[in-house]
Amino acid sequence: MSAVAAKPTAGGAMNPTAMAVGVVLLLVILGICWRVSPGLGLMALIGMVVGGVLIGFGTHFVPVGGAPAAMGQAPGIATGVAMLAAGAGLAGLFGGAWAADQGLVVAVVTGAVGGGLMMAITCMMVNFIYVFGMGIPAASGKVLNDPITGDSQKEFKSQGTEGHGLPFVSFVGGVIGGILAGGGGTLIYLMILDVYKATLPTMMKATEAQIMPIAISAAGIFAVGIFLVNAVLTAYNITGTIEGPHDPKFKRWPRAIVASAVASALCGLAAILIVVM
Amino acid sequence: MTVKIEVIAGGIPHTKIMVAGIIASLVCLYLSYLNVVTNTEMFSFFGGLAVIVALVWGSNTIKVLCSYGIGTGVPSAGMIAFGSGVIAMLLATKFGVAAPIVALVLAAVVGLILGYLSNEVLNMKIPAMVQSLTELAVVGAFTLMGFAVLMTGGFTFAALTTGTVTILGLSLPSFQATFMGGCLIAVAFMLGALAIQHPFNACLGPGWTQDRMLMLAAECGFLSMFVAAIMSFALITAGSALISLIIALVGWGYTYMQYIEFSKRDAASWLDAKPIPDVEGQ
Repeated sequence: MSAVAAKPTAGGAMNPTAMAVGVVLLLVILGICWRVSPGLGLMALIGMVVGGVLIGFGTHFVPVGGAPAAMGQAPGIATGVAMLAAGAGLAGLFGGAWAADQGLVVAVVTGAVGGGLMMAITCMMVNFIYVFGMGIPAASGKVLNDPITGDSQKEFKSQGTEGHGLPFVSFVGGVIGGILAGGGGTLIYLMILDVYKATLPTMMKATEAQIMPIAISAAGIFAVGIFLVNAVLTAYNITGTIEGPHDPKFKRWPRAIVASAVASALCGLAAILIVVM
Repeated sequence: MTVKIEVIAGGIPHTKIMVAGIIASLVCLYLSYLNVVTNTEMFSFFGGLAVIVALVWGSNTIKVLCSYGIGTGVPSAGMIAFGSGVIAMLLATKFGVAAPIVALVLAAVVGLILGYLSNEVLNMKIPAMVQSLTELAVVGAFTLMGFAVLMTGGFTFAALTTGTVTILGLSLPSFQATFMGGCLIAVAFMLGALAIQHPFNACLGPGWTQDRMLMLAAECGFLSMFVAAIMSFALITAGSALISLIIALVGWGYTYMQYIEFSKRDAASWLDAKPIPDVEGQ
């Protein structure tokens, strides 16, 4: 089996049977959680599923260029989906964790702003390097006119490329993606932290102040784990590069929603089982 | 000059590496249980050896998966391995002595479901996907458990969360100076994730040879073990940490030399560029 012989045949098509199996799997996991921890655990798991879905959906907005973008042959940021989602989401997660004491809404908004800010800075510096370093203009290869500004793209696109640089719509997409992923990551962290703060003191026979390092560290590493799983699954959904919300590949998001929901529920259940078992 | 072909294209079959990897990692993790039997921390280095075995197996799995051109870059495979592995490993530590076996089963279940999601729901349709993601989750769980053993001497939840701090000769229980409380697990996570994604990423291409890639995986493993051994000075006795450190250094030196040898063998030509020479008389 060589790399040339076996290219992935992933397309835009949905697999209805697999989607149904996914939804059933999600309900089964929620059911197991309801059996072992009906109140706190189930609410936390639902929060984690919402967070995971936000990460999965948000990642589709981020303009990912990969290796072709590094050579100026495709638009987007010149790295992989997993790296970008991890960068934006973890920046948001750490920002949100900082504000965890101020309540759910403030912390999630802080996380979202952190993720959005990270992507805004990344997108701007990427365009600086494209324009002033590599000497290429920003042009989309997927649409004739920028959906937001209406600027014509065709004249700026070099022949033989799929476009290059980072057009305005991709920039906006990146920031929206960062906001959704950062908020989602923070939501997952807060949900796990709530469960651990409530259950660890009795489990380890210590005061809440004593177990806080354990609770924060365990919630943090679980949130990072769930985040990376969701980011990579979304990367598999996109298979390579995407320009932003105007790209035809964006229409694949329903598949990622189902996959992210099941994966987050599965990983979240493990995080809850560790304290209720 | 004759051309000597030492390794066939495929090298050792993947199934063989997988079985050897599972058995060797489990044996190494359980050998560290000698710590409890003999009431010392001298056998913590077996955790590091488990890490290296798991990484060698994992890098071959990544080769199998990424040969299909999944389009997301090799590092993403390392990230999902550890993202799913850390979850299975932490839950498994609750099961006491059975932890390594429970980690194997739990990680396999998590990996299997993730593999199904990617192949069917996300429509990837890659033949090796389900098996590879299952294996990678187990590799991630074993690697993190190995690092936990290396740094703390045990793999139970209690060993990872309770430690002691000595203040003015007085020994106090502490949750902060531990693998979990001090968030050393985050460092272990990244050390493992970098070590597993690097070998195939560095060796891929038409000139790929299996023994060179696996040797690089072992080299990355020993390098990670070296860093983890330094951190273990904070949690286990200095003598035990020193044993891990020396094993890591010797292992790294050997695998590095071997890797250079293999690189010279596989290279079209080799120029040993000396450092800038001292010009005498100036």
